Amino acid sequence: MARSFVQKAIDWARRKSPWIVHFNAGACNGCDIEVVDALTPRFDVERFGMILRGTPRHADVLVVTGAVTLQTKDRLIRIYEQMPEPKFVLAVGTCACTGGVFSDCYCVTGGTDTVIPVSAYVPGCAACPEAILDGVVKLLTALEAAQKAQ
Amino acid sequence: MALSLFNILIFPGFLFLGVYSLAFEYIDRIIYARMQNRQGPPWFQPLADFLKLVGKETIIPEDADKNIFKALPIFAMAAVTAAFLYVPITGVNSLFPFEGDLIVVLYLLTIPTLTFFLAGWMSSSLYSTIGAVRAMTQLFSYEVPLFMALLAPAILAGTWSLSGIAAYYHANPLWILVNIPAFLVAIVAIQGKLERLPFDMPEAETELCAGTFTEYSGRLLAIFRMAIDAELVVVAAIVAAVFFPIFVANAWLGFLIFVIKTLVVAFILAIFRSVMARIRIEQMVIFCWKYLTPVALLQIVINIVIKGVL
Repeated sequence: MARSFVQKAIDWARRKSPWIVHFNAGACNGCDIEVVDALTPRFDVERFGMILRGTPRHADVLVVTGAVTLQTKDRLIRIYEQMPEPKFVLAVGTCACTGGVFSDCYCVTGGTDTVIPVSAYVPGCAACPEAILDGVVKLLTALEAAQKAQ
Repeated sequence: MALSLFNILIFPGFLFLGVYSLAFEYIDRIIYARMQNRQGPPWFQPLADFLKLVGKETIIPEDADKNIFKALPIFAMAAVTAAFLYVPITGVNSLFPFEGDLIVVLYLLTIPTLTFFLAGWMSSSLYSTIGAVRAMTQLFSYEVPLFMALLAPAILAGTWSLSGIAAYYHANPLWILVNIPAFLVAIVAIQGKLERLPFDMPEAETELCAGTFTEYSGRLLAIFRMAIDAELVVVAAIVAAVFFPIFVANAWLGFLIFVIKTLVVAFILAIFRSVMARIRIEQMVIFCWKYLTPVALLQIVINIVIKGVL
């Protein structure tokens, strides 16, 4: 079924304006520094329309760093549920993807996907800013393909 | 009737103001980006942001009053659009000039700030409540110097009408040099009115999430953002009309000059924003009452003396 003009315009806007919110689910702070680095003027994420928002209500992409600990599990779910639809999750760093070196720890549930659905994974310890930007762009490309397939 | 509808909906009403404010947001952001030595957003970015927010889910908090929560962004946008109808655009005269429209426009521009306060208060979230209180505190600080800075030229012109002020300074362009302190005060106070750096404490994202708009999402947030952009346009148009007395009789040429004048004001505001860092709320109150208000008061005294000598 052909998509209507309005739907096409909104799909286009969705790809061009991914606002992100950053959540540390128990990272060693390495990936957080890389995420903050990716937001500096040197990498200029505003080229892709990305802005860091302080509140999950405004955000489209939840950037999660670190393995999910028992302490942050409920908070992560709550932040995810506070985001309005449609929403995407980007797991940044090896710990956020699989749990990494913390995977069998007594206080860790594992990667982000054990708690909330994840749209894209960016591996690396720590994931470098170029990789994070590449991950977001790949997420947007995959979103475009999914929108076209509808 | 048809002409009034055209004025309200198309020019200079919602459609023109909407497109122009999106363009202004782009210019503001690109200057900000260039000042940080980066490429900046593409030209369609404000439009993409607006459409995306319109297409998103709108969440209303359970504790909030649903009707007021939904009505507030519309009030903000309507007040700003109503204010734009009384600002001169194509020439010396605005669409509906009358004696005292400067006061009406300034008070119409206070309504968005009141809606920000109510929006934060109604959201019943801690962050938005603090943001709301800060928005109100800020209103009491910048409003007096802003009003005095815009009314001082009116004293010299001897009229409370925006069109009258514009006509007076168009006829006597040299007197505008007297008003330079008022212009500087107005530029600083406008940053407070528009809640931009260095006075963006109500939505300080590093401490308050998004301040007053923490609980707003989807199309309600889109309308609020549009209202803020439109407020920038209206304020730039008022400053252009009061402090830049360049007008021509031809409507098309006059519109071109209006665009250039407002772009100059937007350029100054964007440069101001990009070279400043955020200050604390009590520093802002002290600065406004200790330095801005006396300068604006001095300007009024100067203008009254000149008026008496003339």
